[in-house]
Amino acid sequence: MIELKNVTKNFHQKNRIVSALSDVSLKVPPGKIFGVIGTSGAGKSTLIRCVNLLERPTSGEIIVDGKSLIQLSNAQLAIERRQIGMIFQHFNLLSSRTVFENVAFPLELVGVSKSEIKTRVLELLQLVGLAEKANDYPASLSGGQKQRVAIARTLANNPKVLLCDEATSALDPATTRSILNLLKDINRRLNITILLITHQMEVVKSICDEVAVISHGKLIEQGSVGEIFADPKHELTKEFISSSLHIDIPTVYQERLQKEDGEGLSPLLRLEMTGKSVNEPVISEVSRLFDTNFKIVSAQMDQAGDVNFGVMLIELSGKRENYEAAIQYFISKHIKTEIIGYV
Amino acid sequence: MSESIFELLLKGTWETIVMTFVSGFFGFALGLPTGILLFLTRKNQILEQPVLNRTLSVLVNIFRSIPFIILIVWMIPFTRALVGTSIGVSAALVPLSIGAAPFIARLVENSLLGLPAGLIEAARALGATPFQIVYKVLLPEALPSLINAASITLITLVGYSAMGGAVGAGGLGQVGYQYGYIGYDAVTMNSVLGLLVLLVFLIQFAGDFLSKRFDHR
Repeated sequence: MIELKNVTKNFHQKNRIVSALSDVSLKVPPGKIFGVIGTSGAGKSTLIRCVNLLERPTSGEIIVDGKSLIQLSNAQLAIERRQIGMIFQHFNLLSSRTVFENVAFPLELVGVSKSEIKTRVLELLQLVGLAEKANDYPASLSGGQKQRVAIARTLANNPKVLLCDEATSALDPATTRSILNLLKDINRRLNITILLITHQMEVVKSICDEVAVISHGKLIEQGSVGEIFADPKHELTKEFISSSLHIDIPTVYQERLQKEDGEGLSPLLRLEMTGKSVNEPVISEVSRLFDTNFKIVSAQMDQAGDVNFGVMLIELSGKRENYEAAIQYFISKHIKTEIIGYV
Repeated sequence: MSESIFELLLKGTWETIVMTFVSGFFGFALGLPTGILLFLTRKNQILEQPVLNRTLSVLVNIFRSIPFIILIVWMIPFTRALVGTSIGVSAALVPLSIGAAPFIARLVENSLLGLPAGLIEAARALGATPFQIVYKVLLPEALPSLINAASITLITLVGYSAMGGAVGAGGLGQVGYQYGYIGYDAVTMNSVLGLLVLLVFLIQFAGDFLSKRFDHR
C-alpha cells in the first residue's frame, strides 16, 4: 500500500549538506500497521513527511496505493493527499473553528454540500466518541480529545492510508492507550493501512504488525514485531526492547538484599524471557523437578505478535543443594538468568 | 467657546474620522495582499519565491522609510492626477492610504509568522490548495492578531491625518494648527488634543474588544 524505494533526503545547512535519510526502502502491506521507531533526530519525522511529500526527497520513489507521487503536479498531489490521512504530535487543529468545523474542514475543501457535511461530521464524531463536544472550541479539550478530533478530521476524506507523526508522544500513558486502541479499531474496521513513527516501544508493541528501526537516517532492522522482539540483531533494537521491559526491585527487598549467600538467605533471581525462550511452563517444571519453591516478587510479561516475553523477579527457596541445577535448567531453556543477591 | 469654533471642531472630528477609516480601508486593500504575499513567498513557505520576496520587501522598506509629511508633498502630482486636487480630505486619502499600506503589509506578515507552522502543514496534508490555505486557515487563524494590527494602523492614521492637516488636508489637525497654533487659541488647541485622545482610546477599546471576541485560543 505504501512503498518507499531508496529514498534519500539531504538538507542544506550553511554550505553543509546534512543527510536526514539515506537509501531508505520499506513496504507497508495493505491493512497492516507499520511502526518506525527511532530516537529523536534519527530521521523518523523526515521519513513520514516524505510519504505525502510535505518534504520532497532528494532522490528515490514513493508509491502510495500503486501511484508514484514524485512526478505529480501540485494540483494532482493535493488530490492524492486526500487519500493519505495524517495526524500530528501537536494535533494542529484550527483554533478559530469549533470541533464540528474542524472535522468539516477537509469536506469544505472539496466542496461537499452543507447537509452532507453535517451527517458525515456527526458520524465521524460518533466514531471517535466526541459527539457531545461538537460545538466546543479545541482550546477547551484535553490532549487526548484533541487527537480524537484530529483523527476524525483526517478520516473525513476516507483515506486509504493513515500517517501518524508521533501521535501519542504528547499524551499521558492512559490517554496514549486509548488513542492506540482507537487507531487499532480504525485499522480493523475501516481497513486503513497505518504507518506510524514513534520513540516509544510500547506503541510498537501494542498495535504494530511490523516494525523498522531507524538510526542516523538509515533503517537498520525491520521485520514483523514478533521476529524483532524474538531475535533483535542490532544493539539499538535491543535497547528499545529492554527499555520497554523495566523492572525495579521493591524497596523492602532492596533494603534486605545481601551480596553474599548466608544462613537462612535465599537467592533473588531475575529471569528474562525473550522470543528465544522455550514456550513451556518452565517455572512449575523446575519447581517439580528440583523440589524448589518460587515466590514471584514482581513480573512484567507481555505479548508482541506471537511472542511471549518479559522479566520476572523471583525468590527461590526449597532444597538448597538443587539451586544451581534449577538455574542451569532455566539457562538451558534460553531464559536469561541472573542472581541479583540474597534475601 | 463660540458657536463657530464648536462647529469647526465637529467638522474637524468628522473629517479626521473619515480620513482615518477610509484610508485605513484602502491601506488594508493594498497592504493585506502584500503582507500575505510577503509571508507566502518567504523561504520554506508554500509559495517560496526568493526574488519576488526580496523585491517586495525592498519596496515596502523604501515606502516605510519616507517620512509621512514628505510623502504627502512628494505625491502631489500623483494625487492631483488621481483625484484632481491636492488639498482637502479626498486628496489626503491618497498619501494616507499609500503611507499606511507598507506598514500594514509588515504587520500582516508578522501576524502570519506568529501562527504555528503545523497548521499549514496539516492543511497541506489534508489536500488544501495555497488559496484555500490563505482564506480558510491563515486569515481566520490570524484574525485576532489582524484586528490588533488594524487598531494599531488606525491609531497611526489618526496621527498621520493630523500631520496632513498642517499642509491642507483638513480634519482636526488643520483646526489645531490654524486656530490653535497660528491663531494662538489655547482653548481650541486643547480641545483638538482632547478629541484626538478620545478618538485613539475609542479605537483601541473597540480593537481590543473585537480581538478578544474572535480569539478562541
